[in-house]
Amino acid sequence: MTIIHNRSLDDIAETGPTLGGNAVTRAFSGGSIGRLIGMLALIAILGFLTIYPLAMLLYGSLHSTPPGLAGEFNLNGYRAIMTTQNFLVLINTVGISLAKTVPSLTIAVFLAWIIARTDTPFRGTLEVLITLPFFIPPILTAMAWGMLGNPQVGVINLVWRSISGSPDPLVNVYSYGGVVWHMCQYSIPFLFLFTVDAFRAMDPSLEESSRMCGASRWTTFRKITLLLMLPVLTSSFMLSFIRGIESFESPLFFGLPAGIKVITTDIYESINHRATPDYQYATSLSFAIMGLMFLLVIWQWALLRGKSFQTVTGKGFRPNVMELGPWRWVTFGFCVLFFIITVVLPVGQLLLGSFFRFFGFYTYEMLTLEHYRAVFSNSEFWRAVRNTMMLGLLGATATMALGAVVAYVSVRTRWRGRSLIDGMAWLPWMMPGMVLGVGFLWAFAMLPGPIPIYGTVWALLLAYLALGTPVAVRVMTGAYHQLSYDLEECSRVHGASWFQTMWRIMVALAWPAFAVGWVLTFFGIMRELSASILLYSVGSETLAVVLLKLWANGNAEQVSVIGLMMMLLVILFRWVQLRFIKARISKL
Amino acid sequence: MASVTLENVTRMYGAVTAVDQVNLRVKSGEFVTLLGPSGCGKTTTLRMVAGLEKNTGGRISIGDNVVSDADKGYFVPSERRRLGMVFQSYAIWPHMTVFDNVAYPLRIRRRTDKEIQDRVMNALRLVEMEQYAERPSPALSGGQQQRVAIARALVFEPEVLLLDEPLSNLDARLRTQMGDEFRQLQQRLKITTLYVTHDQSEAMALSDRVVVMHGGKILQVGAPEDIYRRPESRQVAAFFGTPNLLQAKVRNCRPNGGQYYKLDVEGRGWSGECHAAIEIPAGADVTVMVRPENLQIGEAGAANGGLSWAGEISQAIFRGPHRSVMVKTADQTLHIETPSLADVGIGRAVTVAAPSDAAWAVRS
Ligand SMILES: Nc1ncnc2c1ncn2[C@@H]1O[C@H](COP(=O)(O)OP(=O)(O)OP(=O)(O)O)[C@@H](O)[C@H]1O
Ligand SMILES: [Mg+2]
Repeated sequence: MTIIHNRSLDDIAETGPTLGGNAVTRAFSGGSIGRLIGMLALIAILGFLTIYPLAMLLYGSLHSTPPGLAGEFNLNGYRAIMTTQNFLVLINTVGISLAKTVPSLTIAVFLAWIIARTDTPFRGTLEVLITLPFFIPPILTAMAWGMLGNPQVGVINLVWRSISGSPDPLVNVYSYGGVVWHMCQYSIPFLFLFTVDAFRAMDPSLEESSRMCGASRWTTFRKITLLLMLPVLTSSFMLSFIRGIESFESPLFFGLPAGIKVITTDIYESINHRATPDYQYATSLSFAIMGLMFLLVIWQWALLRGKSFQTVTGKGFRPNVMELGPWRWVTFGFCVLFFIITVVLPVGQLLLGSFFRFFGFYTYEMLTLEHYRAVFSNSEFWRAVRNTMMLGLLGATATMALGAVVAYVSVRTRWRGRSLIDGMAWLPWMMPGMVLGVGFLWAFAMLPGPIPIYGTVWALLLAYLALGTPVAVRVMTGAYHQLSYDLEECSRVHGASWFQTMWRIMVALAWPAFAVGWVLTFFGIMRELSASILLYSVGSETLAVVLLKLWANGNAEQVSVIGLMMMLLVILFRWVQLRFIKARISKL
Repeated sequence: MASVTLENVTRMYGAVTAVDQVNLRVKSGEFVTLLGPSGCGKTTTLRMVAGLEKNTGGRISIGDNVVSDADKGYFVPSERRRLGMVFQSYAIWPHMTVFDNVAYPLRIRRRTDKEIQDRVMNALRLVEMEQYAERPSPALSGGQQQRVAIARALVFEPEVLLLDEPLSNLDARLRTQMGDEFRQLQQRLKITTLYVTHDQSEAMALSDRVVVMHGGKILQVGAPEDIYRRPESRQVAAFFGTPNLLQAKVRNCRPNGGQYYKLDVEGRGWSGECHAAIEIPAGADVTVMVRPENLQIGEAGAANGGLSWAGEISQAIFRGPHRSVMVKTADQTLHIETPSLADVGIGRAVTVAAPSDAAWAVRS
């Protein structure tokens, strides 16, 4: 068996005698025609999802008029984005993302250390609570914080004024600080999920031997723990930084009202908030931001090349939990405080907002259920619920199915063209939702007449599919890497055909990862706003879009009601996931 | 160098007692091995000496200094105990070179660059690794990692060296070689050493004294030869190799003129002389231990002093250096190791004999 150790099954099927099966399975397993058709279909699908919108984006940035109109090719779009004002926007974007990544990473590492390495009580529960904000759509917390930290009528400022008697507000979320603050709430749990298992998996004797050498706890932490974690920390830092640049909700809610612009909101504004949408400007800017992302991704690669320390040894391994003594209640309190700030406060605000006639006026006479009535009798709301659920279920399933196939082809076969497929599936990784939205806007408009996708829910579905594919592929790649070839080969040797093997062995073993990926994708779709806001039209609104529209109309009370409904959905799905799917998200 | 003293040292994990009232004194410069089956508390004991685990009861001293006293709530953290330790996984830091790994304890103690350079190179020379100093440490084989771990543990001249199964990741040949080299090094430096292993032959070959543990308790402490030839209990006897253990009754007991007692014992269908550590009254039940390599096969009917059994050869297995022979007797099947040159015929009637000083009785 050692000879065929790292070859895939299909090489064997090709060269050796075919094991069992009839002509059809042979055609799919080793036959070149079946394989060719399959590969072409994959390339076509991925091409439509990634290359096509990208090409249209390029076309749009060089074309003077909106899609479908006669115009000429020029560089006006690129000329228009080369302004000092846009330079400021770029500085803002990078600066804000840096400003949120550094404190987020610090706090996330601290939390991960508490959960993985100390005897803080109720760590299991705390871990679930700490990671919850990752699953809450940022638009919900953005709106809640908009109400909490509003300088005039926000609860925090109302309380502050009545305590201190001062006429000035304590906080104003419509500021740089507000944008960063809101981004952190999502970044911290995200980074936590990324780093906590690195802490858990580290061989404790690496630290213990440092203590035996005479180094104190603190020195050991600095010289050994942190340095060993450096590769993980660098990659999480880069990821979080990139996410910060892509971020849309925080600058939209807290930046725009204060005149703080970043690239994503600038694209959004140039399409949605101008008398005539400036598509050429938007597409050129989209292309520019993609260039920036590309540089960042290259930089990340360069930083991380060859720098992963395999520190798990297994032998003589014992869990190393630091006994904190009375301090463990301090760390416990810190985790609880984090949960209160990121979940309890915003959800409490939504609850509060939903029961009073006007938000900001919390007196007994103002109590009402009218917002619930209004929302539940609103057909637009129900349509959005249907759309979101349909898009979530269908989108997550389709994305994961595509991801599973792409990952299988690129990891477990030696088919020609598999790196092309892998590369194509990875492309959307560099495209913020906003950019992909613009690309699809053009892509759908340029489709020949009889294919009316634009303006339907299918437009959204395709965009979600493209946005979700990189993560889906990553999740499934991780899962396949952990399954040894022996499992597959053993099944073939014992007489199962390629299809039977796929179904009984691969699917059976990889489904936990599939399920975890599915839930991730589902949450991703539920919180997606930046592509949806460009691609929706009347009839195909999602919950996030309805929320934004209501908010823009100043209807914070109904926003609270819908927000609460979404929160319930999040908690329900998260509960189901924790209860029934044992695989860990961060393991993938 | 310093001694290590454990007085009534206990470690509980919740309701589980991992180490139970252990008393042990490791003399200065001595090599003591903790030996026992998996889960018997060897690692826990070692880690309590290291200060990586707190003892829940008892007192630990290194040299004249108490380092941990559970009753007084006194505890010196690991970094201030001046110990060297080699971990089972070696714990070589992958983000440092070999040199940096070994230099770490000195850098922590803020020694001058000159001194660091000299002492690290000395330590590396001791383990014959000086030509690897600038290697990144992930690029080392298991045996080389082990040498680096030893160099790191020795570089700042610790009071005591602690080792947790340092050879268990190596292949059989390298294990013997590294073990012998390490023993030589230890004797040259005269460094007090506490060593954990579950490999009996390793324990016997390396140590001045062996501590046999079971279920968190110490069963016996003694020189390797004592433990092997004169176990104090049936458990210790059974722990080494595959001895023949026979039930018997004492007929007579008298001092043998030396330190031990001579017994006349009688089993089912056999009788003879053996030795014991303590006086055992006539009529008491004992277990007689005879090691397979001390039994001889002779012609049927032949008998001398000591013990003998009449039986018939039921099985013979060629093992290279020796031959394992099973002889069925009236009492039980005996396991005998004979030189592999000797020919045996299955089914042949024989007499199995052992000299009286190769048979050892313990109370059962
Ligand atoms: N953190 C812990 N929590 C609970 N029980 C523990 C813990 N660490 C060890 N134990 C228990 O204490 C006992 C002794 O463990 P220890 O690791 O000292 O055994 P050992 O003799 O070193 O075994 P091995 O030869 O397998 O390494 C075992 O029964 C083990 O299950
Ligand atoms: Mg152990």
